[in-house]
Amino acid sequence: MWVPGARIPSRLTVSAFTRAGRFCVLNSVAARWKDVPAENCRGLYDFHPLLESDVGFVKSSSRLYKSRSETKRYVTSPRLAETMVRMLRGKRKAGQLILECNPGPGVLTRALLESGARVVALESDKTFIPELKSLGDSVNGRLEVIYCDFFKLDPRSHGTVTPPVMTSDMLFQYLGMKAHPWKKGFPLKVVGILPVKTERNTLWKILHDLYSCSSVYKYGRAELNLFISEKECRKLTANPQTPGLYQSLSVLGQIACGIKVLCTEPSSSFDMYTIKGQLERQRHRYTKTGRSCLLILYFFKPNKNYKESLEHNLCFIQLTPHRNLFSGTLTPFNYDVFFHMLRQCFMKRNAKLIDHLPSLSPIDAVHILKQIKKHKDVRVIDMYPEDFQRLFETIECSKDDSCKWLYDEFMEDTLS
Amino acid sequence: MSALRCGCRAAGLRRALWPKGHPGLLVEEGALGGVWGRKRSLSANACEQDRRKDCGHAELLEVLEARVRQLQAEGTAEEVTVKRVAMAQAPETGGIWPPRQAPVGAEGAAPELSSHWVQKLDKDQQLIEKHWQQPEGKQPKTVEKPTWEKRLRMEPRLLSRKLAGQLQQWERKRPQSPWEEQLARLLQEAPKRLSREADEGSESRLEGQRQKFLAFLECCMLTGHLTLAHHVLVAQHSRAPQQQLLTLPMYNTVMLGWARQGSFKELMYVFFMLKDAGLAPDLLSYAAALQCMGRLDQDASTIQRCLKQMEQDGLSLQGLFSAVPLSTEERAELLRAVRKARPAFSPQPPPPPPPQVNTSPLLQEIYAKDPSVSYPRLHLSLKELQGLFRQQLGVEMATTVTVESVEKAPLLTKEVLQARKTLAALRAEWESVLSLELQKTKESEARAAAEGRLSLFPYLCLLSEKDLVGLLLQTLQALPPHGESLLFLAHELGLRVLKRKRLRNQVEELEQRYSEYLHLLASDTQVAEPCLPRQHWEALGMPEAPLEQPWPVSVLVQLGKQLAEVLVRAVQMPSSLTAPRGPSTLIPVLYHVYAFRSFRQIGILKPHPAFTQLQETAAERTLIFESTEVPMLCPPLPWTSPHSGAFLLSPTKMMRSLEGTQQHQLLLERCPPAELHGALDALTQLGNCAWRVNGRVLDLVLDLFRDKGCPRLGVPAPPTEAPRSPEGRQAPKGRLLPEASPADKAEMRRELARRLKVAREMQSLRADALYRLSLAQHLRNHIFWLPHNMDFRGRTYPCSPHFNHLGSDLARALLEFAQGRPLGPNGLDWLKIHLVNLTGFKKRESLQARRDYADAVMEDILDSAERPMTGRKWWMEADEPWQALACCMEIAQVVHSPDPTTYISHFPVHQDGSCNGLQHYAALGRDSTGAASVNLSPSDLPQDVYSEVAAQVEVFRRQDAKQGVRVAQVLEGFISRKVVKQTVMTVVYGVTRYGGRLQIEKRLRELEDFPQEFVWEASHYLVRQVFNSLQEMFSGTRSIQRWLTESARLISLTGSAVEWITPLGVPVIQPYHRDSKVMIKGGLQSLTLSSSVDTNQKPNTLKQKNGFPPNFIHSLDSTHMMLTALHCYRKGLTFVSVHDCFWTHAADVEVMNQVCREQFVRLHSQPILQDLSRFLIKRFCSSSRTSKSLWVSRLKDTLLSVPPTGTFDLEQVKRSTFFFS
Repeated sequence: MWVPGARIPSRLTVSAFTRAGRFCVLNSVAARWKDVPAENCRGLYDFHPLLESDVGFVKSSSRLYKSRSETKRYVTSPRLAETMVRMLRGKRKAGQLILECNPGPGVLTRALLESGARVVALESDKTFIPELKSLGDSVNGRLEVIYCDFFKLDPRSHGTVTPPVMTSDMLFQYLGMKAHPWKKGFPLKVVGILPVKTERNTLWKILHDLYSCSSVYKYGRAELNLFISEKECRKLTANPQTPGLYQSLSVLGQIACGIKVLCTEPSSSFDMYTIKGQLERQRHRYTKTGRSCLLILYFFKPNKNYKESLEHNLCFIQLTPHRNLFSGTLTPFNYDVFFHMLRQCFMKRNAKLIDHLPSLSPIDAVHILKQIKKHKDVRVIDMYPEDFQRLFETIECSKDDSCKWLYDEFMEDTLS
Repeated sequence: MSALRCGCRAAGLRRALWPKGHPGLLVEEGALGGVWGRKRSLSANACEQDRRKDCGHAELLEVLEARVRQLQAEGTAEEVTVKRVAMAQAPETGGIWPPRQAPVGAEGAAPELSSHWVQKLDKDQQLIEKHWQQPEGKQPKTVEKPTWEKRLRMEPRLLSRKLAGQLQQWERKRPQSPWEEQLARLLQEAPKRLSREADEGSESRLEGQRQKFLAFLECCMLTGHLTLAHHVLVAQHSRAPQQQLLTLPMYNTVMLGWARQGSFKELMYVFFMLKDAGLAPDLLSYAAALQCMGRLDQDASTIQRCLKQMEQDGLSLQGLFSAVPLSTEERAELLRAVRKARPAFSPQPPPPPPPQVNTSPLLQEIYAKDPSVSYPRLHLSLKELQGLFRQQLGVEMATTVTVESVEKAPLLTKEVLQARKTLAALRAEWESVLSLELQKTKESEARAAAEGRLSLFPYLCLLSEKDLVGLLLQTLQALPPHGESLLFLAHELGLRVLKRKRLRNQVEELEQRYSEYLHLLASDTQVAEPCLPRQHWEALGMPEAPLEQPWPVSVLVQLGKQLAEVLVRAVQMPSSLTAPRGPSTLIPVLYHVYAFRSFRQIGILKPHPAFTQLQETAAERTLIFESTEVPMLCPPLPWTSPHSGAFLLSPTKMMRSLEGTQQHQLLLERCPPAELHGALDALTQLGNCAWRVNGRVLDLVLDLFRDKGCPRLGVPAPPTEAPRSPEGRQAPKGRLLPEASPADKAEMRRELARRLKVAREMQSLRADALYRLSLAQHLRNHIFWLPHNMDFRGRTYPCSPHFNHLGSDLARALLEFAQGRPLGPNGLDWLKIHLVNLTGFKKRESLQARRDYADAVMEDILDSAERPMTGRKWWMEADEPWQALACCMEIAQVVHSPDPTTYISHFPVHQDGSCNGLQHYAALGRDSTGAASVNLSPSDLPQDVYSEVAAQVEVFRRQDAKQGVRVAQVLEGFISRKVVKQTVMTVVYGVTRYGGRLQIEKRLRELEDFPQEFVWEASHYLVRQVFNSLQEMFSGTRSIQRWLTESARLISLTGSAVEWITPLGVPVIQPYHRDSKVMIKGGLQSLTLSSSVDTNQKPNTLKQKNGFPPNFIHSLDSTHMMLTALHCYRKGLTFVSVHDCFWTHAADVEVMNQVCREQFVRLHSQPILQDLSRFLIKRFCSSSRTSKSLWVSRLKDTLLSVPPTGTFDLEQVKRSTFFFS
């Protein structure tokens, strides 16, 4: 008899991939979810031999630890800071609240304060904090500095959260802010630079938070102003006309928010940092002499990737969640099905949609296509984001009550 | 005739260049061959001088060959072109046309001469042959054989030109010089390895492929596809780069196949290939050749020459009979052949098992001959046992056991009946479509094999189509509603096929021998002198099951995947099941969906919800188990070698390991048989214990199970008790209205996910219990046996997974000994003590106090026994409630019986080691303090190591607090046994500071009044103090642990996996290697297997290092258990164990306790660490490769400095009451 609990012996860790080829894309897409919390995994063990001991507490923590040596970019050009302030201010009057992520040496912070904005600086690197705090001395309380990493808010592991990792509840309680209803605006703008190495994973995290109305988005429709690499930016805004760049992230991003590219800057206008070895000593000297604006580029270990990324530009984009995102069929209740659908479809992007449908829903594929008014030969990369939304709604609203999706919660590691 | 010759010359050329033969050349051809052969020898001189030019023309020949091959591929339409090319070139190159033979290295053989004339003539001759043979030879075959079989190729394509020529020539002159002639000549060829680059990386990759190929060939043999095996071998052989893949055993396998059929010609073909590959034939090859000659009744001279050559190769004639595994019949044929040449020869009976006495001093007593020993016998008569044997035989022949589920029977409403009918109709339908689909798959796999690829064809032929279909339908039935990963399913399916193919089929022989064997066990028979079951079995004869080649995991998964795909493709149901109104089209039952897990994408097979629904409605009540998953109905076969024992027909391994892992098996095979006797006998003895089901407990459990379950008592609740039924993901109506805020909806999703998780967990627990209880119910009125095997460290486990004594409290309470023993004077006392132990109420009291307590609560005990569910329910408060209840019932019966001393008790009483791992460490290191704390020294009250560590930690804490350490002050009053227990317990198993801290953090969080902001700091501090305290108390232990870890690290760095030999003689190797990945492409999806047990991979240093100390201790505790088991058996006791928990009858507890202590002292009186050090030095420090010499010398230094030990006097253990209690 087959016992659901009986597993392939743990020493044989087995994993399954789709056909070769698409794998590399997936690799970078979902690497973040590697550190699934231990609790979740244990729940999944019952159904799967695949998440054996290697996904556990140990790993996630060590990853957190490692992340300290990440490279970060900082705005250090006063000219750029000026431009950004102008863009952020837009038509609105002064005095608005801005959440600045990892201000670093504080060039932008200073500019923002000078423009009259109120700034909450979330800095994940302790070394910058004293200097940042000193900035606030003269602006009578318009600056608040918190030791916190915005991009690591609400970690998935439910262990102890120690700063700079925080939960959004802690943060917003500290700021004394209440949750705003989705339809209302949000009194806060977030500005920051996506972490260099984990750009894509951070984007995925933001989208998950957005669709599930959790983390920052629990408090309202937060507008994000982010610097991301031009490559990612182009992917995020891609559609069937740029099929080479088009991917599930593009669909999810475009369905969820209005994406506006505010400006493009060569990455040489930023400085990069790691916190290791020699560099740290160097920085100490700089901070001591108070010449924080004159920071020079350091590479702890220069390699090809860094050099490449230097040659690229960074785009300043604005992500404003749509007001009516959840007014239709798609809700935080079923968004995970939508995610799953897209990930499945973009596994083999050049395949016909009709080939994917049987793995998604038991409903007759031809019938579905007829309903969304697509030709039966339509390929995945021919579908615009709205088409995918329509596809999702069609299936979700189909009359067949017994089973619309083959998707099952346990198939995703997004259980929380 | 000549016209014919001209027209087809091109084809002839083609043949000569690229020999492509036909199976089964006929006898008439021989005559022709003879004619041409003679002409050939006439022209021999003419071509001598041409030979010098050979080299220069080799290139030209190659070009030509290539061209012809190319043309060949273009088909018959191009025949004319070929002809022209050939005709045009022949005159040009005619004079210098190179002979087929490469003259290089021809010195040994008779000069093979040839010329272009001969070539030409040969070609023509072959042409004629072809035409001759076509009408007679080929057509009858085409009638019966499927198309692919016609293309099977017999003639080898040889890479060595010389050999090729030889073969060709020899084929022609067959009548004059018989095939055998050729054999002798061939044998003389010096083996000449082709250029084989032994580069290490590719070697390890090749190893996997070799294993696969050998498995393929063997499977072909097994399924009677010898021709196919030969064909694939020829195909692989002809590809030069592939030759590295081929090894001697492969050729031998095929050769043996031909030998069995007596097909000498094909055997010779293989021999040619073998030589061509540059391999030297070994005993097995000779055995095959001789056997074949024996069958064909060939004349003596050839055999004579063959034997002579064998001697020259340094192979002994006797070895043929002793070292080659052959069946009786094969042996006879072999002997016939040998006797022709040497009429006086008689094979010595296999060397009388040389004084097969185990050398281990620990086992001297066990194997001492003593006619007065009385080994235990069963309470059953010979006749009864024979009947049981036949039952078990029946079960194993049927391969599966159908068991009725104990789930509550549904009311047989109309819907239920309708659903059952629908399901039955569907199954009938599926059976036929599945078998069609299987045929199709087989056909395509066969075609792949005919193209020379290793396909799955022979594997698919292992089981009959009906069996495979049955297997697939079972799989479908058992698929959980949320699906199962394709990889897991594939692995499982493959494993099942492997398990079901039976190798042993000498049932009659077995029956007779088994019947003889039973004389030792039955109650009403006699044997000449007392001996162990294994000794008795061995005395009854020699034939053993041949060693089974494991299949590589990749083959297993590939086969399983193929089968799963058949299932997905074939099984369909009408869509009207889902939507009754719609038009009824067929929709698939299984869907292949993907799940995304971290960076992996996992394929899952998921049944259509409508099908799940149908199954649920039908609520069918049968469960199907493999025969090896059910306990045996007769005493298991005694273990006589690492691969024979336990089940009657299904081969079982003594050391369980992952399928496809060979390292343990190889190690065991290499080990002198006598060294394994201890382990073999211990396993046999554990398996020989007869069991029965405790019916009263089962009834109570079943009542609960069919009702609402009781998670507190370990009876899982039915799915209806789950917070939400697991199907679908519908939200409660009305809660998803548009006005609900997105955040609410998100929260609802999370809530549903949580519930779903709970439901899934419940479902899996429920299924587990269902299997256990159903089996218990099935076996309720039977006596059964649990055959045992062991893991790689020697820890023993019952083979049957679902129902055994190793499980939870509930599982253990369901079992009792089938054989009863009168309680005797102290039996009742032991029952009482056992009961109090089970409750866990009096852990720190003396035995007397426990007994007194039992007397004090006798009212409650009797009440529990009489009204377990309605009374005061005293038993439910116990640590192990079900076992406590069973014990209450037993005590009640004893109390009510007229004379407690003569009451026949079936109840097992347990004795537990207290922190057994630390006991072994303390004994190894002779730590006095430590030894006292784990009850190695006598004391009035049981000592508790956890409390003592806690006390020691408290001492340190107080010191620190005085010095003003903040954490130490905060922790005041919080250090308890509970906080440190888990960490102390797991230290033996190699827990690190990191893991220890997490454990303590968890405990501290549970403490309500502990200031939580200090948790992190405090746990850090505590784990440090726990380790310090252990260091203080078990100083010897800690240094031994460090020594073991360091040795393992260095061994691993020298590139080997850590190996050692337990004091009982069992070789152990740690199966931790770097991951190796195998990709299985094609079909539904590609699967990637990663395995860390691949011996070709380098060892995983971290795992080798961290695993060594605990594994070593486990190998010691298993040794202790086995020694106790063997000595108890000699004293006539019933004994079983759950690792460090020993079971026996209440009457025998005292004897067992004594044995257990004596053996512990005996074991640790051995210089265990010194022996280990000596062994490791010998094993790992002797060969010094330059690149690793640094590590080797460091290893040697480490190994030589065996940690010093303390002063503890081991003899004290014998007087310690609470050592095992």
